Amino acid sequence: MPTGAGVGRYGFFFDSSVCSGCKACQGACKDKNNLPGGVLWRRVYEIAGGTWKKDGGVWVPDIFSYYLSMACHHCEKPICGDGCPTKCISKSGGGIVLIDTQSCIGCRYCEWSCPYGAIQFDEAAHVATKCDFCSDSLARGEPPACVTACPMRALDFGELGDLQKKYGGAGRIFPLPEASITEPAVVIKPHRDAARANKDTAEVGNWEEI
Amino acid sequence: MALSARREWPLVAFTLLSQTAVGALWTVAAAAALSESARGWHSRYLTFPALGSIVATLGVAAAISVFHLGKPGRAALALKNIGRSWLSREVLSELVLMASAGLLGSLVLLRIYSPSLMRLTLAVAVAASLLLLLSMSRLYMLATVPAWRSAHTPLSFLGSALLLGPLAIASFPRQILDAGRETAAFQRGAAVASLAGIVLIVLTALLFGPGIGFFRAKKAALREFPVSKTYPILAFRLFFLLAAIVLLVLFDRTESIRFLRLALACALSGEIGGRCLFYVVYSRIGV
Repeated sequence: MPTGAGVGRYGFFFDSSVCSGCKACQGACKDKNNLPGGVLWRRVYEIAGGTWKKDGGVWVPDIFSYYLSMACHHCEKPICGDGCPTKCISKSGGGIVLIDTQSCIGCRYCEWSCPYGAIQFDEAAHVATKCDFCSDSLARGEPPACVTACPMRALDFGELGDLQKKYGGAGRIFPLPEASITEPAVVIKPHRDAARANKDTAEVGNWEEI
Repeated sequence: MALSARREWPLVAFTLLSQTAVGALWTVAAAAALSESARGWHSRYLTFPALGSIVATLGVAAAISVFHLGKPGRAALALKNIGRSWLSREVLSELVLMASAGLLGSLVLLRIYSPSLMRLTLAVAVAASLLLLLSMSRLYMLATVPAWRSAHTPLSFLGSALLLGPLAIASFPRQILDAGRETAAFQRGAAVASLAGIVLIVLTALLFGPGIGFFRAKKAALREFPVSKTYPILAFRLFFLLAAIVLLVLFDRTESIRFLRLALACALSGEIGGRCLFYVVYSRIGV
């Protein structure tokens, strides 16, 4: 298990093909970080779509759904940090993108720009917050809370290059944007139905939970 | 994530007031440069009330913008990333514009009519105003927000400056300027500039407007603001812009300043509607 020493760039692996949408990862993160209501550093999206198709003389449902568990992707080119006027968003060792909440002025510009919804504005503290890769756990040689909590072993973490070699997979599936925009440190194994999803055939079905 | 015009009211006010101040500066600067009776730099247009009004408008805009922040007490930190952040550059250019317009006003008040100094200060102010508009436009043109990443953003901001700035100055000439017999000609010129602003705004909306423009951004965001919901705001904006045009024509025929002031009120109402629409059409690629 990587402990931080000598790790070039940390990343997450997410296996959409086995994720059951239980949100244990989301709950573990919220619990460990004592997040207030309305703030989710890890979010589980339900992607659903499909329609009816005619099979012989009968109409049958032809639907699909899968889950997407996402936290901050600690991008190589963090668009949040580029625009931040106070330079409170920076990259630490291991490529982890951190927000210094003591310098944040709460302008929410980073929240506007992040395509992964990683920036979560804390209405009580009036500052932007986000996943910090459980840096304190990593320093102790322990995995992030979300990785530990997943009962399906759909989440993993480590050196991004090692994850890419071990799991292959893509850096994006619908509805995530092109990886070239921010170069996220994430490897995703797509669900078998992910190829059917695009903005015309699928949608996020649980916005009210995010 | 969706933006609410009600919640973003500080930014609606900030952007409109700043653009009004920019347009007003261009108006008095252009009038001073073009005026045949300018006595060197004892200009009838670069007056202390005119420059003071511009500085005051910028000051009010900056004060209102602080209401947008979660931590207003830390606002000064917004200048820390001028190297990469257009938001930092916007704050800096606003401050430079205030300082240079304020310096110019002070020179006039103290009757320090040094041509070289005044020319330099005015040049800095105009440059700062251009940088302010540029920064304001670029900070919204995020790679992840298709609705804002088009020519619509800078052109509509420019249109607001051209529409509101000249009208604001021309509506109070006796209070702000010392144009004497040139007042009527100045007001006509300002009315023409404002009409040009309206034309730019309408053309920009027709060509690049989110959801309706001929060259609008292709649908890329997952949750785009429904185009049909923009129609009432568009109608509101169009009504007040048309009313402003009618009032400007009436002013041209009657030279009654009441029509100019009503035109300003209508233009401002229309632009408030337009700016609210700008924020509610926000939608992000990804999730």
